[in-house]
Amino acid sequence: MDLTFDHSFVKVNGIKMHVAEKSPSVVGNGAFDGVISRPVILFLHGFPELWYTWRHQMLALSSLGYRTIAPDLRGYGDTDAPESVDAYTSLHIVGDLIGLIDAVVGDREKVFVVGHDWGAIIAWHLCLLRPDRVKALVNMSVVFDPWNPKRKPISTFKSFYGDDYYICRFQEYGEIEAEFAKVGTERVLLELLTYRNPGPILLPKGKRYEDPVSLPSWLTDYDVKYYVSKYEKNGFTGPVNYYRNMDRTWELMGSLSNAQVKVPVKFIIGDQDLTYHMPGTKKYIENGRFKSHVPLLDEVVVIEGVGHFLHEERPDEISKHIHDYFLTF
Amino acid sequence: MEHRKVRGNGIDIHVAIQGPSNGPIVLLLHGFPELWYSWRHQIPGLAAHGYRAVAPDLRGYGDSDAPPEISSYTCFHIVSDLVAIISALTSSEEEKVFVVGHDWGALIAWYLCLFRPDKVKALVNLGVPFSFGPTDPSAKPLDDLRAFYGNDFYMCRFQEHGEIEAEIGEVGIERVLKRILTYRDPGPLIMPKDKSFWGCKDESISLPSWLSEEDVAYYVTKFEEKGFSGGVNFYRNFNRNNELLGPWVGKRIEVPTKFVIGELDMVNYMPGVKEYIHGPKFKEDVPLLEEPVVVMEGVAHFLNQEMPQEILQFILDFISKF
Repeated sequence: MDLTFDHSFVKVNGIKMHVAEKSPSVVGNGAFDGVISRPVILFLHGFPELWYTWRHQMLALSSLGYRTIAPDLRGYGDTDAPESVDAYTSLHIVGDLIGLIDAVVGDREKVFVVGHDWGAIIAWHLCLLRPDRVKALVNMSVVFDPWNPKRKPISTFKSFYGDDYYICRFQEYGEIEAEFAKVGTERVLLELLTYRNPGPILLPKGKRYEDPVSLPSWLTDYDVKYYVSKYEKNGFTGPVNYYRNMDRTWELMGSLSNAQVKVPVKFIIGDQDLTYHMPGTKKYIENGRFKSHVPLLDEVVVIEGVGHFLHEERPDEISKHIHDYFLTF
Repeated sequence: MEHRKVRGNGIDIHVAIQGPSNGPIVLLLHGFPELWYSWRHQIPGLAAHGYRAVAPDLRGYGDSDAPPEISSYTCFHIVSDLVAIISALTSSEEEKVFVVGHDWGALIAWYLCLFRPDKVKALVNLGVPFSFGPTDPSAKPLDDLRAFYGNDFYMCRFQEHGEIEAEIGEVGIERVLKRILTYRDPGPLIMPKDKSFWGCKDESISLPSWLSEEDVAYYVTKFEEKGFSGGVNFYRNFNRNNELLGPWVGKRIEVPTKFVIGELDMVNYMPGVKEYIHGPKFKEDVPLLEEPVVVMEGVAHFLNQEMPQEILQFILDFISKF
């Protein structure tokens, strides 16, 4: 498989961001060179991933004429990971992406956005704060959770799922990093990337990781090696810091109380995804509340038998969903 | 006039309200070191014209709550209080309000228009142009001011927690407020550490015609009760605000806006301000800016108190168009 992606570094929002790109090669005959501008899709990965998670979509969609752009988000991979733990609020990440969008299409144009997991959360916030920069959004796995003055995130998770809930275990600076170091980077990544339990992720202290983990069909040794190489180099602190800023982001986002997401959206989720089974989510989607917060929610797709990493499990299906939707704009 | 407490973002905000309960809301935002009271001349006039004037004490001031942590005074905290107030006082989420801002209130008003243009019908901003909006997220605005004006520039003197509070305690709140409210030098507010800025304790500060001893006494009472930390904490978040404003770099103000500044306002003399106000950039950033902007000759910083009827008229004339 031809995996030649173009890699570059862009200065955005005070950090240096690593960006992977796959774009249609310009086969010009002079008359049309540079005249036809190709639509841009910005891909936002989640935890614990990298730009690399989008490789299938980038190949498929670039061959259909899109410029596909996938950064390593702040704290991940080859992008800067600022030292300060409080430099990972949604405002920081969205600020990075505005800088990136400016660099790619100039400061007045819009891009298509595709998000998954943490990338989906960031995509919701990007659309909330800067609908003027997003033409349309395909978001996956995580529904829009409107700001609620009564629900501070970490205490809410704690009361729902207890202290062993992975998000609660991620809060103490350095703690989970030390535990992950003992377990080993490869084992940690395998556990998380192959998680197929529809229930919440619980990580009790002293949990043993001894059962053999077999790779699913959609994850190769090469893929795992790539992730491991990047996570071994940088550690987990950057990515885990996002969870450490959920309360801080909540404190800063009060201005967006009752604000609607005013961007056209297609939402896709697997029915084996643990997020689909979080209390209230199915009802939220089905009873119209999701649509009341996202009035331009055009379509919700629930894919049977598919787990959390749906774009890796069913790459062609997801690429088709993306292309079919963006074609309408 | 009614005085009420409204729930802000996790705190209680004191608001003064006057005017018909179904009148279009005009939200009046004071600056430093002021209070809702700075709008005392505009509130009855707005009410008489059928508007519902709403003037809060911003968080940290007067009869509103003042959380102790400096980190609770970012522009995001203050704007979120205002969004909560607007929600509490309007009959639907779609209803927009008029906003009038002065000094810090004007800067906060720009941010409110950036974050929630869906809430603001039109804006009259006094004294602080949009040149103070988000630009370079890796810049540290406070550090730039320090480099330009030196450590004795008032904003730099406000940085160290407790320092200016102690100085104000020594000089006396009444003297401090009189000195600031009567300041008319068309140049930067430099406060050397020898306290010479406040003048000699034996020399009384004479009040202009537009500021009575009763007015001063009201401010003194409230600042004696609350202290200055709340208001000063706004300044202590300059760098942090800029770090967090990355998402809005390049976003234009989409709200119809009128801008007025006093010719002698020290803000008018800050680097780049005159060029910005009179050049093309202001209109580029605020496409619905009414031109020309108004520069009031011979008028200093506290223009809504110095020229109350004129400011009321500017507001009425502008908002009546919407």
